[in-house]
Amino acid sequence: MQGASTPHPSLARPPAPPSRTRPAGHLAEVWGDVVDLRHLAAAVVIGAAVSLGTYLVAARIFAGFIAVAAVGQAYAMLVGLVGCLVSGVICARLFAPKREVLETAADPAWRIAALEQLAGETGSIGSVADLPPEVAAEMKELGLYDLFASYDGDVAQTASRPQAATKGA
Amino acid sequence: MDGLLYDILVALGMGVAGAVAFSLIGLVSGTDETTTIAPVTLLVVLLGVPPVGVFTFWLAAAVSKHMTHAVPTALLGIPGDTMAVPLLQQATALRNLGVPHIALRKMISGGLIAAVIAVPLSVGFALLLAPFGQMITTAAPWIFLGAALLIAYFSAGKWASVFALVPFVLLVVALQTFTAKFGVKLGVSYFLGIAIGPLVADLFSVLSPIERGRMHRDGPRRFSLAPDVKAWGGYFPNPFKVLDRAQLAWTTGAAAVTSATFVFSPVAMTVIMGEVVGARIKHAYHRLTTVLAVRNGVTESTYIAEALIPLIAFGLPLSPVAAGPAAPLFNAPPRFMVDGPGGQIVNLHTLMTPWQFLGYGLLAVFIAALVAYPFAMNYARVAAAFVSRRISHEAIIATFVGLVMVIGVWEGQLLGLMVIVAMGLVGGLLYRVLGFNTGVQFMGYYTAVLTVPALTKLITG
Repeated sequence: MQGASTPHPSLARPPAPPSRTRPAGHLAEVWGDVVDLRHLAAAVVIGAAVSLGTYLVAARIFAGFIAVAAVGQAYAMLVGLVGCLVSGVICARLFAPKREVLETAADPAWRIAALEQLAGETGSIGSVADLPPEVAAEMKELGLYDLFASYDGDVAQTASRPQAATKGA
Repeated sequence: MDGLLYDILVALGMGVAGAVAFSLIGLVSGTDETTTIAPVTLLVVLLGVPPVGVFTFWLAAAVSKHMTHAVPTALLGIPGDTMAVPLLQQATALRNLGVPHIALRKMISGGLIAAVIAVPLSVGFALLLAPFGQMITTAAPWIFLGAALLIAYFSAGKWASVFALVPFVLLVVALQTFTAKFGVKLGVSYFLGIAIGPLVADLFSVLSPIERGRMHRDGPRRFSLAPDVKAWGGYFPNPFKVLDRAQLAWTTGAAAVTSATFVFSPVAMTVIMGEVVGARIKHAYHRLTTVLAVRNGVTESTYIAEALIPLIAFGLPLSPVAAGPAAPLFNAPPRFMVDGPGGQIVNLHTLMTPWQFLGYGLLAVFIAALVAYPFAMNYARVAAAFVSRRISHEAIIATFVGLVMVIGVWEGQLLGLMVIVAMGLVGGLLYRVLGFNTGVQFMGYYTAVLTVPALTKLITG
């Protein structure tokens, strides 16, 4: 979420040399995710042609031996929907996703940023001493208990903290 | 007895089919409920599946999709569905803390418990309302008008949505009059056009040089996929152990209360109940996890109530869910209809008894609990990695473009296709610019179909 919508401060510094190998000029966000516009155009054509083609062929075949027209068309629609899935599979094989998936363990800087955000919402993250024992046990298991306890302690001692937050994602 | 056994076997088979199919679809982020569940359910209705099979299919599909759509929401930080949007803030905070799997588990365990509570309570509330059924049915055109105005006002667009209803309804009426000239009566095409509107609007926008600049992106989208930790032995986790006592109590309470609300949008109820509960928990971690469990639970209970109460009590789609993803349970011409000769209703309302709704409703939730719940709990990370690395967005768009083509041509040849595109473009742009959302648009459609004829009759005499 964060990375995709962060505007690039291009005015602040000269344009960076193109570090990625992917030509970026054709990327755009459509219906909630990033696509390559050339691939999108091809995908729309493939989706339309394969699905509609499947449906029309199936309708022709079923019309031959199913007496009730509506039933034959319903079956053809079912086959047409399979055609939709087939066109999806074809496009999935032809066009790679425009996503970069990073496998990361929790970044300590993000954890601090997350804690600061939580503290900012209500003024305090609350004290671990108030927790029901089962919740405290769950947090200990996750390795979060000490993090929350020490953050709460730190804030109590020093009112202002250095900005540890970095831009996420 | 043979009849009952046959019904149960059909329901079981259809329920498993719905649960498996929609557990997989739920993993693909951005797939809208209405766009996916409604057309497939429509197909099930038209293929002549017995009523209990249709119902079990629909509910098992919906509950399963709600479970697996939590996977992209929690692990990738992208909403699996519009209904998952209110959960994103808390899920992202837990992801940044390095424990996204906790967000996922709290969400879907809350959802499962809420679903079990919501089915019997919704049936109960429906029975309380049923005596007013005849009154409601007679006054339906005016009730739809009221509901449309109310839902419009409570959408993001507020008064803009209320006023936008007028031209929108006019558009539906105009298109219907136009297609009637060629002897074509369309229903599904309007639904699909409205549901798929945001995609249609985006595809047109990206063709326009003006909008393309706004949509341009400098690089691929980056996600960080967090590691997962399994905390139970065996395949089946126990939802009662995933949530602590406070969370169980809040989730159960919120689910029970919201099972009675059937006219408000699930998203609105989800936000409100989350705020109510969140304000009462002091510690930040406990607040995050509890709000997630409660919110996802409320999403589930409101959703079930919105579909079941109008279906059992009135047989009229009087809520955003009933008008959207559950629409084919009410209206699927030529088999089910709300505007038959003499205002007659023929749909699951007339074909199933309240006891059947209760029994098969619980069966559907039970099937989803056996199929989707352990799947999402055990394989969330593998599934999220597969979808984000292998399934490109282009492929998803191709599939939906295909869906529009097949359904449009199937229902009304070229006219069907043109109606889908017209409704989609207008609806999608109104949604984006004014916040005139899909639920309001569905109510606009029903206003056009039910209220406008009554209104014309009233005025012209």
